[in-house]
Amino acid sequence: MIRINRRKLITTSAVLAIAALTVATVPAQALNPQMADPGITASTIKLGITSPLTGIASPGYNKIPGAMKAYFDYVNTNGGVNGRKITLVSKDDQYIPTTAVAKANELILRDKVFALVGTLGTASTKALTASTQLSKRGVPSLFVNTGWSGFADKKAYPTTFSILPSYQMEAKIMAKYVKETYAGKKIAIIYQDDDFGRDALAGFKTAGLTFDTYIPYASGSQALPATGAGWISKLKTAGAEVTVLFGVTSASTAALANAYGAGFKTQWVLGSVGGDATTIAATNKAYVPLLFGAKGFSFAPAPTDTTDEYIKLFQSIYAAAQPTQTFDNNVVAGMSNAFLVVQALKAAGANLTRAGLIKVIETKGSTFASPFLTPLGYSATAHIGATGYWVGTYGPTGALTPDGGKYTVYTTDSGTGPVVLSTYTRPAMPAKGL
Amino acid sequence: MLKKHPIITFIFFGFILFLISNRLDELRVYQGATVAVYAIGIASLILLIGYSGQVSLGHGAFLAIGGFAAALARIHYEAPVWLTFVVAVLAAAIAGALLGLAAARLSGPYLAGTTLALAIGLPSIANQFSIFGGEQGISFDIGLPPASLGEDFTQYKWFFWISWTVALITLYWLRNILNSRYGRGWRAVRSNDVAAELAGIHVGRNKVLAFTISAGLAGLAGALLAMTISLASPGVFPLALSFSLATGAVLSGVTTLGGIMIGSVTLVAIPEIALAIANRYGSETITTNLPGLLVSALLILTVLFVPNGPVEQMHAKRAKRGHSSHSPVEISVRVGSKTWSTKK
Repeated sequence: MIRINRRKLITTSAVLAIAALTVATVPAQALNPQMADPGITASTIKLGITSPLTGIASPGYNKIPGAMKAYFDYVNTNGGVNGRKITLVSKDDQYIPTTAVAKANELILRDKVFALVGTLGTASTKALTASTQLSKRGVPSLFVNTGWSGFADKKAYPTTFSILPSYQMEAKIMAKYVKETYAGKKIAIIYQDDDFGRDALAGFKTAGLTFDTYIPYASGSQALPATGAGWISKLKTAGAEVTVLFGVTSASTAALANAYGAGFKTQWVLGSVGGDATTIAATNKAYVPLLFGAKGFSFAPAPTDTTDEYIKLFQSIYAAAQPTQTFDNNVVAGMSNAFLVVQALKAAGANLTRAGLIKVIETKGSTFASPFLTPLGYSATAHIGATGYWVGTYGPTGALTPDGGKYTVYTTDSGTGPVVLSTYTRPAMPAKGL
Repeated sequence: MLKKHPIITFIFFGFILFLISNRLDELRVYQGATVAVYAIGIASLILLIGYSGQVSLGHGAFLAIGGFAAALARIHYEAPVWLTFVVAVLAAAIAGALLGLAAARLSGPYLAGTTLALAIGLPSIANQFSIFGGEQGISFDIGLPPASLGEDFTQYKWFFWISWTVALITLYWLRNILNSRYGRGWRAVRSNDVAAELAGIHVGRNKVLAFTISAGLAGLAGALLAMTISLASPGVFPLALSFSLATGAVLSGVTTLGGIMIGSVTLVAIPEIALAIANRYGSETITTNLPGLLVSALLILTVLFVPNGPVEQMHAKRAKRGHSSHSPVEISVRVGSKTWSTKK
């Protein structure tokens, strides 16, 4: 064995360090600015989605990529968008932000997708947008499925567009409805004590609705058996005649089941996030009828509304593509999202670029055809999609149908603007829904 | 030469990694950074399980403490990046010391249960206080790489350099600690605490110290993890992360640091291998379920055939042939007719 002394050790280290620095200064290949954006050829557009296909948050949401693909395939068989066929690469992130970043990296760096579509979950979307540097790369992230108002911050998220109304908008609209419909009654609220719930509280405050009882819960605690029972005893003591619930579906399940178990009756008013019958059914099918009579909010046409031309089209496309799956609001959400993506790609024209796509949504996004019953809010300063809600009542099968047999749509903004009855009439669906 | 001067091995390894980072595409560089994070996380578990004989199934909790501490230090005090790592280590180490005090009284399944409960419970605490940002978490942005590195120097390469520099320094330090009086003490405690105590080793103190250092290292891994994904949120540190680290430690071999790359590379490579297999043969269902299956199969095979890890096995084989001087510490204590020994 060679014996080396300290001097030799230092020399070796120095040589290695110098060699390292030399290699570091070797210039990398210069980028060719004339090169076309990745994920796009004369005949194809490649899009990517990462969402929870497995794991705790997957029931319901895991239908979204399949629904999107069904619509894209329909567009492809009808000639594609400006002659290009769309392929959708779908990845499973299990609702874990770390995995979402890894999958987004695979989509952008390996699959070289043109744009991300329909990513789901606020934490995941925040993480992947920052870590993969979507804005620096100029990768459009179209129509993310979260209502967190932070994504409206165009400076922080210049290439991200959301599709849901913000939670603040929803709370303001709920507040108007509750104030007008249940004046003089004792009203309570159960809300998730984090950004999601606090966004809503801010909305209620702006709209001037104060509750007689406030019941916050820590995210995650709704799964504990004692939590739901605790809410009901508090509601009972307070004599709450109307209870607003602004939380996730597992929270509404806990609340409804415990109220039923305790024989406690109150008029439930559920936020849109917590009122998904498919997700409730995934916990326990027997809980679905408990939704019966509760009030709920939505901005898309009801999945059961076969008089709606979009629903009719979506149902026929989905039945052919996924014959074993039920057509529900998650499917409507996925297909509406895909529909908007296609409208944006179409508007961006034959000479498709990432920058061009973002630009066209900012300039023409508010005029895109859409299945939604509210106007779209896209502009150079706002990246928020739907801007309102209609109120409905849940039936025994968990289907939400509009009160009075017609959609009464309220619209507002995320700030201090008033809640007004929408005068928006949805334009007719483009021919064949393309 | 390398054995005598391990620092050269570490510098050489760092140099190789540096060369590699210049040759790999961006996705691999990102994955490489993740390998470094796992390496530190697994090292912290090897120290705890393999050296001090304490089991933790909830090490993700310490990663979470480190991740959140680093992010908070960055957001509220605009701490420089290196300082956020120091804060992460300290915060997690303090939590580790507190839990270690309890852990020293527990063993086996009770300790495993306690750490597991911590990993499950901690995210709820994060949701309880608005400073932690609830389910959405808080951003951890270390900023762009220095301009002097050039325009083409990507963010992920920057993460890679930081992660590996930290990892190599940590592993070098840990190697020295494990070969020191403390390391020998821990091994003695693990092998037979009665014998160790009779030999004058303070069992409780040693266990708490091991737990504290291990938690501190886990906190460092957590800060690096939060850095690579720019976010600290409860969802970043799920229970699955704790299990992954434990799996990585078993695959690496818990009794030596030598195999650490096996575990950390495997954790990152398995989903890739699963994807390659799925692309070749199958469907989406395979892609989602195959990684779990592969990891489980590897785990079972490791436990069956190389229970102390592949590296330890290699050493044992060489020792049998009389080539190696690698011999474990043995302590035997004889009281009356009874002998306690750390020798297996």
